[in-house]
Amino acid sequence: MGSDTDTSADTDTTPATEAAPELAADGGTATGSDTASGDDSGRAGLKARAKWYALSYPLFWLVAIFFVPLCLLFVFSFWVNIPGGQYEFGFTFENYLRFVSVDFTSSWPFIEPGLYLSQMWLTIELALVTAVFSLLLGYPIAYYLARMDRPWLRSLLLITIISSLWVTYVIRAYAWQVILASGGVLSSIGVATGILSEPQSFYPGYWGLVVGMVYVFLPFMVLTLYSSIRNIDGELLEASKNLGAGSAKTFRRVTLPLSKNGITSGMALVFILALGSYVLPRLLGSSAERTLPVLIEQQIMSESNYPFAAAMSIGLIFVVLVFLWALIRVTNVTAGSLGGSEEIATDGGSQQPGSTGTSPLAKVRGGFGSAASVIGLTAVASQIGNAIDSVVTRVDANTRESVIWVTFRAYVAAAMAFIAVPLLIIIAVSFTPEEFLTFPPGGFSMQWYVEFFTNEDWMLALINSFAIAGAAALLSTTIGGGLAFALDRFDYRWSSIYGTFGVLPILVPPVIIGVAFLVFFLELGIAGSRTSIIVAHGIFYAPFPFILISQGLDEIDRTYEEAAMNLGASSLRTLRTITYPLIRANVISGALFAFILSLNEYIIAWLLSLFLVDTIPIEIFQSLRYGYSPTIAAASVVFIALTVVVMTAIDRFSGGIWE
Amino acid sequence: MSGISLAGVKKRYPGGVLAVKGVDIDIESGEFVTLVGPSGCGKTTTLRTIAGFETPTDGSVHIDGNEVTDAPPYERDTGMVFQDFALFPHMTIHENIAYGMEADGDYTTEEIDARVAEMLELVELPGVGDRTPDQLSGGQQQRIALARALAPRPKALLLDEPLASLDKQLREQMQVELRRIQQEIGITTVFVTHNQEEALTMSDRLAVMNDGQFEQVGPPEEVYNDPDSRFVADFLGTANIFDGTVSAVKNGYAMVDCDDVSVQAAVQNGVSTGDNTSVVIRPERFRFDDGAASNAGVASADGGTNTGATTVFEGEITFKRHLGSSVEFHLETDSGRKIVVVRRSGMDKRGPGDRVAVSVAADDCRLVEA
Repeated sequence: MGSDTDTSADTDTTPATEAAPELAADGGTATGSDTASGDDSGRAGLKARAKWYALSYPLFWLVAIFFVPLCLLFVFSFWVNIPGGQYEFGFTFENYLRFVSVDFTSSWPFIEPGLYLSQMWLTIELALVTAVFSLLLGYPIAYYLARMDRPWLRSLLLITIISSLWVTYVIRAYAWQVILASGGVLSSIGVATGILSEPQSFYPGYWGLVVGMVYVFLPFMVLTLYSSIRNIDGELLEASKNLGAGSAKTFRRVTLPLSKNGITSGMALVFILALGSYVLPRLLGSSAERTLPVLIEQQIMSESNYPFAAAMSIGLIFVVLVFLWALIRVTNVTAGSLGGSEEIATDGGSQQPGSTGTSPLAKVRGGFGSAASVIGLTAVASQIGNAIDSVVTRVDANTRESVIWVTFRAYVAAAMAFIAVPLLIIIAVSFTPEEFLTFPPGGFSMQWYVEFFTNEDWMLALINSFAIAGAAALLSTTIGGGLAFALDRFDYRWSSIYGTFGVLPILVPPVIIGVAFLVFFLELGIAGSRTSIIVAHGIFYAPFPFILISQGLDEIDRTYEEAAMNLGASSLRTLRTITYPLIRANVISGALFAFILSLNEYIIAWLLSLFLVDTIPIEIFQSLRYGYSPTIAAASVVFIALTVVVMTAIDRFSGGIWE
Repeated sequence: MSGISLAGVKKRYPGGVLAVKGVDIDIESGEFVTLVGPSGCGKTTTLRTIAGFETPTDGSVHIDGNEVTDAPPYERDTGMVFQDFALFPHMTIHENIAYGMEADGDYTTEEIDARVAEMLELVELPGVGDRTPDQLSGGQQQRIALARALAPRPKALLLDEPLASLDKQLREQMQVELRRIQQEIGITTVFVTHNQEEALTMSDRLAVMNDGQFEQVGPPEEVYNDPDSRFVADFLGTANIFDGTVSAVKNGYAMVDCDDVSVQAAVQNGVSTGDNTSVVIRPERFRFDDGAASNAGVASADGGTNTGATTVFEGEITFKRHLGSSVEFHLETDSGRKIVVVRRSGMDKRGPGDRVAVSVAADDCRLVEA
């Protein structure tokens, strides 16, 4: 019954339905609703070409002001340098040839890398050594943090680790100078205990530098590993123990394999950050430890050889790209998630899907040829672990467990001290009544704080720092927030590429960003101004608000916005009264992150300052040339205190973002 | 008050899925219409098309006689209650209810306060204005969501499975409450649910949706008793459905051969000998035929006997359960056919293992397309 009618109805409707998408597209354009997907029209903030307007603002900064200059750096690296700070358009391989030049020798292997190649190798080696030591030191801390059951202690330790993360490299390098210098902490202790016959300096030099680098980058490693180990289901460990495996075996067979992704991202993160580090090699290394970033800065600020600096920057980017390429090839870690792991503070570090099969670490090892000897340390460590395991198996179980536990705790305590003590020493030094660096300080005095707050240069630097950080934070938030909003609300064909632009800045070594901006801003005639630093910082730190705000938008229940519009609120009103209040914590946290990072940034600000703009990190760095005046310590303490205040604010706004 | 009309509404999602394949309905002013169907049938998309959260690919939407097909949600004057209520978590109850009026901009603060109080009275929750949504129970949140939707005096009330997240007892209470308030205000209402019981008990009319289309639209009794299709029969309530072929049609009755049994059924639409068809019998239409087995005597070997306009099935009770006011029996005939019978609770002593006969009148059998 009625089957005939139905069939004919079907035939009638078929052409109409097929024509429907076109109708929708036409209608969409005409009525000004979104053309790509009609269903979007119900969401907040959607109209007409709003889709492209929304994207154009963040892309203007990230592409026109950031990515294009970065690409121009490549073009620029082929230009011809005219000694004396000039350069002209041309096409020459001279810069690259100088970079990769080799020396010929009379003995085997008859060829040796030239200055720049060997310094590039040194840079890579330092980064690898830093990554490996960070792993060895960081894993036990992360494991302890993840598995401990005293929440207050965990919060305390996490806050200690995270706070040190935000203090400028300059202050942290200074702390190690204070520790390692002749007459510094280590030497004083050595003399006092009779180990050293006379005061001795432990820096500048290779190992002093390594210690400083590990100190600075360890928090990144710990936090990445921490979230990775936290994600391991505790029941798996219980299951392993239930099946008869001891602590050591459980760790080796269950925890370690399951945290391999965390290890990979942590190593990658530390490697890339260490590779691009300028301040530490400069302040803790001797002239033999001039890494690529140091050489690049030197070419710019001392030699004014911009094309050669550009060529070296491209070389450094090349190393980063090869490293990332190898990493992505051998693991499931993506560039995006590496960007996320910079964001470990918000637990983004271990989101990579579990990579199965061969150990990523082993593959990285294979992929890095001669680097293997360094990473091989982990293999050695693991064999030592095996040996210890087999020895302790012979001791009775309880003794074994308690020995492992006590050793482990002592190790963690020592590692935590390594993270916490340097800044405490700075605080102690700032109250010294003496004119020069002495340890322990022979009394208590506020004179250096008075000196700091009454000195015009310091005050000007402080005001500059705040003005720049404030403006940069605003810019960052509008760029990152704009991009996050656009990508969340609209469908773009290339949305993943736009998203990559959002995290790209933090993947590029800052010294290169500084050089790229410098060259670009020189052309625009705004280099050497606060504006130039604000723009550079605003773009460089945009990934933080971008990631945080994306996350916030992701978590909002869309129904709230629909409910508001159903109640008659326009798109704009919905954004203002519903969307924004719901992601306010993310927006403010993102802005504060950008603020604090900009406040502490040195190298980009220094390159763009052209000696004309002073910020606190620049002022401290400059002062260090003339010794370790306790004023620097006082300035550092003031700065650290400000950092702690801002971090506390972030924590309050976000309601415990650290977990 | 005003009505809603949908004409030829189609919705194709990006990616090509045709979620709504052309629906037409005119909803009277003050009418309570329920869209019911399984998940994915397009009922929510249809509702969202009325609310303006989806723009139809084809067709038109009118509210109160004005075309709103492409109008944004905030220009439609509808009040919607969402499945999870969507009470703004960062606002108090008062602010939630006032939100729509504030967005309107046509109300003074005094008017808004008075209206909020009035709404709280209506949903019987006076005095909760200063609380936040998370301080209210699920049932209270539900009422507040309703108050918020009604506060700006919308032209239509749209309910998107608002009872789904409540527990059974609360849900039944809210069914009554919702209907009371709707009738008190006399607002045109479209209610979406996958719960057939809700659809049957609450609506003036219900529209059974399947696969992006309306299968049948009508008052609950009509749709339940005279299903237009096998799908409707099956979806609403319980139905015994026997597939067969029409062997004869006379005097408004059709004889349907269903392999093991012949069933006589009243004919509403034209069927002719040889048509494939399905016989739908609601479980409560059966009655126990005490002694029928001996009486009829002529029971066919198939287990079904045609005694005039009544069909008799014999079989064994395999399962029995009490549903409160009624009892449900599962029968299995000798040929293996399963039948569900529902009778009023009573002194009935029949239980699993008993052999029984049940009969159904031809007028209680409906024919639908196979």
